[in-house]
Amino acid sequence: MGMGEFYALREKSGTFRRASRPPAAKAAFAYLDDPEFLRLYSEVVDDERRMTFYLEGIHCLACLWLLQKVPEFAPGVRRVEIDAGRSTARVVLDLSAKAADAAGAFELLGYRPHAVREREDEELRRREDRLLLMRVAVAGACAMNIMLLAISDYAGASGSLLNVFRWTSFALFLPVLGFSAAPLFRSAWASLRARSVSIDVPVCLGLSFGFLSSAVNLLRGSGGVYFDSLSTLVFLLLAGRLVLARAQRGAVERSRLLHFLTPSMARVLRAGDWKEVALDSVKPGERVEIRAGEAVPVDGVVDEGRSHVDASALTGESLPRLAAEGAALFAGTTNLDAPLRARVTACGYRTRLGRILEEVERASAKPSQAARAADHAGKYFVGAVLTLSAAAFAIGLRHGPAQAFQRALATAIVTCPCGLALATPLAQSIAIGRAAAAGILIKGADALERLGEIDEVFLDKTGTLTEGALGVVSWEAEDAAATLAAAALESRSAHPIARAIFARLSESVGPLPEVKDFREVAGEGVSGRIDGVSYGVGADEGERGGDSASPGSIATAVAVTRGGRIVARAHLSDRLRADAAQTVAALRAMGLRVRVLSGDSPAAAAEAARILGLTAQDAIGAAMPEDKKRIVSASPRAMMVGDGANDAVALASAFVGVAAHGGMEVSLRAADAYLSRPGTAPIAALVRLGRGTRTTIMRNLIFSAAYNLIGAALALSGRVGPLFAAVLMPLSAITVFVSSMLGAADARAALEALP
Amino acid sequence: MIVIYLLMPIAVLMAAGFIVAFVRSVKGGQYDDLESPPLKMLLPDEPVSRAGERDKK
Repeated sequence: MGMGEFYALREKSGTFRRASRPPAAKAAFAYLDDPEFLRLYSEVVDDERRMTFYLEGIHCLACLWLLQKVPEFAPGVRRVEIDAGRSTARVVLDLSAKAADAAGAFELLGYRPHAVREREDEELRRREDRLLLMRVAVAGACAMNIMLLAISDYAGASGSLLNVFRWTSFALFLPVLGFSAAPLFRSAWASLRARSVSIDVPVCLGLSFGFLSSAVNLLRGSGGVYFDSLSTLVFLLLAGRLVLARAQRGAVERSRLLHFLTPSMARVLRAGDWKEVALDSVKPGERVEIRAGEAVPVDGVVDEGRSHVDASALTGESLPRLAAEGAALFAGTTNLDAPLRARVTACGYRTRLGRILEEVERASAKPSQAARAADHAGKYFVGAVLTLSAAAFAIGLRHGPAQAFQRALATAIVTCPCGLALATPLAQSIAIGRAAAAGILIKGADALERLGEIDEVFLDKTGTLTEGALGVVSWEAEDAAATLAAAALESRSAHPIARAIFARLSESVGPLPEVKDFREVAGEGVSGRIDGVSYGVGADEGERGGDSASPGSIATAVAVTRGGRIVARAHLSDRLRADAAQTVAALRAMGLRVRVLSGDSPAAAAEAARILGLTAQDAIGAAMPEDKKRIVSASPRAMMVGDGANDAVALASAFVGVAAHGGMEVSLRAADAYLSRPGTAPIAALVRLGRGTRTTIMRNLIFSAAYNLIGAALALSGRVGPLFAAVLMPLSAITVFVSSMLGAADARAALEALP
Repeated sequence: MIVIYLLMPIAVLMAAGFIVAFVRSVKGGQYDDLESPPLKMLLPDEPVSRAGERDKK
């Protein structure tokens, strides 16, 4: 295939990142063709089999181009349909084809596939989306045409021409009322049956009242008709809802969480053979094998092998830990350097990771605060509208029943909470859309609302404030021989510190000399003889704890010895992000208390806090996931920023949880917001956006409330007729629209300032 | 002004025609994924011929 084109596109689209990890062997996907697995995860239609994969890392045009090539080289793959929004690929296969071949093709291109179960409710949701879109379209088209006809009415048309126009408007309004507004009436009715009053109730009341009086006036042949205003109202309300629904798409699909964090297969000992099986079929008590570089699929106890395990995703420890016989292994961690065999103690939702995810699920099922507030307001509103209309009728009675009805009607129309109903969702959906365009995904409107109310920020250290990977920050050697010896020794070790040192030194040294008597002692370091001289590389005890040698970092010191004497020193650290201090300063300038919350040692957390200009009291170290949850939920208005599955509980139980870039994509979806951009600047921008949106909503509410109050006063006193009230009604919605757009402009400036 | 009685039904019919066209395109799934089509437009034609084989849903 023409790879040249791919690279050209990649250059153009600019956002391309590819995982540096090597592709897994095709055999790793053999479990996909297990008949049991196929029964659960695929669907056979006529002579083809359909499967859906979630693909990690689709972000740009080049990705789509590449993935569309799959049918050309993967045997039996007929079609691949990519949904970039959901990062899924629907694959259509020949019945005889192997699913593993298709998965292998995706893997080869650098997109790790995870088979997902296409659920029935997804089809249902798609139908609902389409229906809402059609309702908006019908309301919009009819509203515009009615408006066109209404202009002649306002301009003073009379006689049979006016009658024809009015009857046409009536006819055009029927689909708006019967089809487009149906969900409004349904939700109003549902809330009434549940003995509560949602914001839809006064809207529907206004709609019904407006429609009935217009219809009566039409039949009588006198008085105003308001089909134009009413249909515009329906259109604006539904359009607002559509924008909101689109922005909320791609929210959590919890059943998939576990699939992302653990592999979907495991290598199990069955009948004396190691076999690849679907993870669902692994039972506690069986033995599994985890090769170097693979993620651990289950919880278990090691019974064979010795290897370093990276648990950063689960516990937040930045350094890998040695796992030997008897050590506990947890699902979601990664085995780094040697094969391990383990006895399974728990699988699926019963693993430590699974329990964390279950808690996430429970925490995110909390009812939305915004919804309750709107219902609460609606309850008073409907009462106010009715009372005012009755008052208008009573006041108007002095001038006769016709005048009384006119005033009551004008009051009901003018107080219809059109702008009020739009004020909040519109400002929120615009803000969410802007944030998404800047690479910040906010999960829902109430998350945004809560963002505006925070007064405290907890920042996770590893991966959020720091780069998340070890690097050498300084290297001092007495002579070139010491550097060469260190490079040669470290090249033989798989320990992350050794890898980091080797990565740094390999650029500057030539061919490596041969090492004799190489020995690696876990937790201490490596040693060996080069040209007859004995060298060692290990922890630099004299310097442990970090000093001023490496500013801006949380250091680990390593020393190279020659015959027992130190000849070279290296400082390694997980470096703080360049913009971390600036972000912390910006957050504090907004009046927020900022604290560092880390699973790493208290000393490392305190050091990070010091560099960021925070006091030692603001640094909390050695916090296990459960501790983090406790600390974060003790603060009623705290925002927690973190990443990885280990923070998921804290993120979900925090007032606002923000998943920072660099963690595992899905567990991040457990948070309220996800930052897909590197660095810490988006954190400050997000808080600004939350506060800005809150201001916009307040402004919208004040505008529309003022409009309603002034309008009501004028209508009550008879200075405004129903016709004028109806002209004013969409005006309040338009004011809210403009105000929301302006509000989003501030927010956009904050977002665009991101690097 | 008598011509207005002729023009108005035509206008309404045209509006109805557009609504029907829009509803059909929605039902056909054209609005399900709004993110990849603008990118697909930039792709070379070759894969598109492949996509042309897909069945009409």
